Amino acid sequence: MINLRAVKAALKQQATHFFVDPQWVIPSIIAPFIFTTVTLFLFSHTGGDLLLYAILGGGVLGMWGNTIQSSSWSIGYDRMNGTLEAIMVTPTSLSSVVLGRCLWNSFIGLLNALAVFLVAQFAFGIDVTLRDPAGFIIALVLTLISLSVLGMVFGAFYVVTRASSALFQMLEFPVYVLSGAVYSLAILPEWTRPFSYVIPATWGAEALKIATFTGYDSLGIGYWGALAILAFTTVIFLALSLRLFTYLEEKAKVSGTLVRY
Amino acid sequence: MNENEIVISVKDLVKVYPAATHLLGDGGKEKLAVDRISFDIHRGEIFGMLGPNGAGKTTTIKMLSTLLIPTSGTATVLGMDPSKDSMKLRSRINLVSGGERGLYFRLTGRQNLDFFSDMYQVPREKKKKRVQDLLDLVGLTDSADIRVENYSRGMKQRLHLARGLVNEPEVLFLDEPTLGLDPEIARETRALIKKLSREGMTIMLTTHYMFEADELCDRLAIISNGVIKGIGSPYSMKDAVRNDTIIEVEAGEITQSQKEQMKALPGVSAVSLESLEGRMMARMVVMDAATLIPTVASLLEGQRIISIKVDQPTLEDAYLKMVSDK
Repeated sequence: MINLRAVKAALKQQATHFFVDPQWVIPSIIAPFIFTTVTLFLFSHTGGDLLLYAILGGGVLGMWGNTIQSSSWSIGYDRMNGTLEAIMVTPTSLSSVVLGRCLWNSFIGLLNALAVFLVAQFAFGIDVTLRDPAGFIIALVLTLISLSVLGMVFGAFYVVTRASSALFQMLEFPVYVLSGAVYSLAILPEWTRPFSYVIPATWGAEALKIATFTGYDSLGIGYWGALAILAFTTVIFLALSLRLFTYLEEKAKVSGTLVRY
Repeated sequence: MNENEIVISVKDLVKVYPAATHLLGDGGKEKLAVDRISFDIHRGEIFGMLGPNGAGKTTTIKMLSTLLIPTSGTATVLGMDPSKDSMKLRSRINLVSGGERGLYFRLTGRQNLDFFSDMYQVPREKKKKRVQDLLDLVGLTDSADIRVENYSRGMKQRLHLARGLVNEPEVLFLDEPTLGLDPEIARETRALIKKLSREGMTIMLTTHYMFEADELCDRLAIISNGVIKGIGSPYSMKDAVRNDTIIEVEAGEITQSQKEQMKALPGVSAVSLESLEGRMMARMVVMDAATLIPTVASLLEGQRIISIKVDQPTLEDAYLKMVSDK
């Protein structure tokens, strides 16, 4: 069961770690800056929607990895640190701790997006005009939360095995491709569609593009339709991750693999 | 406090670790870690588990502290089943493991305790004072706002103990609490454990150190290969070897094969071999030292024998006798 006080404490703990550990500056600040700069160098001559698409795909959406990775790694970190047992012997569910950390990671994702916007606008002088800025921000926040939840699903596997990172590495890129974040869904084979539709980020990417480009509605469900499915699939994945945590905790308590690193 | 109240009850507890499953090849065999152990622990008691590495001590503590599910048998802690009522039980127990891991190194000592207080839902109005009291108790007040990565091993262990007390547990499980500590800090830690026990806390600990078990524990269980070999007070354990004598032999070299030969002698119940600086020492638990000394000396013929002494048995000898295969 989710405990709000524990969620808040975990969020605060993740924030403290972020500020005291300089290594986070690399994925959170430096990497997004480099991605955006490279994208802008490549596409700055194109202008119009293509440039915006490039910023969206290569910049903002390129940072999704950071959000998913930090969320899935949140339990891996405890396993490596030897704190997993110390948390698990408390009356707080592991999922509350992970949720708190994921919320912080989503917030950092939002800061990344702001950094991309500022780099494009002020360093390259590109006019980043969004069709619906408020809609874009709402879609971005929900998308980042959905990505954190996806990270929770991956992260649950760290409870039973340190090899969870292999699972994450294997599934990370297909998620970006299938969600249509980097490439349009239209250029992907027809048989991949069912996979795309179950990934919350697909609907997040759709909502973001609708809020960015005038006349864009590739799936024919409109902004609110995309947002509704995004929320629905996120809730499904959240329920799945909570169930996975319970199941995998029980499995780890039988196999005795909680502390192996 | 009702000292007769049974707080922990273990009956025929078994833990078998399943064979690891690997994608390629054999993941190994299943391992019997704890084999039908039974014991009771009373309120306010310090109960120790003593045994060699891999004996099943930590597995037992983890089953009782809700971190492992037993394969069979029953266990109750404060009247609850640790595998079924884990969430309810966890607020009333705590576990402290020895060693340096298990803390957030990038956070300060105070931040670590704050975090775990929240995990235990310590009432907000009490949290600040309790954290400060615990820092005072373990002598970390001056370093409370320094990151744990800068702590010495002793400081980390004291912080572990403070973490184990954030929820004011009724039952505290300590897994080798003085592992690797310097003698002075280890002594302070033992003093703290005794103080907690005097205040009514029930403590179950594992240790490798005989003198620690002797000094701290009201009762002990000696465990080897997952089986309890003996259970009782340190005094009664020593009493079990009252009729035995110890032959302590120091020589320039004593080989494993010579140790096995010593073990095979009639009237010898256990032999331990220790490597000292430039010499070896064998300690034999025997029935009749006078008869055996000439045989032992002849076994070591050709070796430089430094001394052969006869001694009174200690708790360590009782332990050796119980865990010995012979």
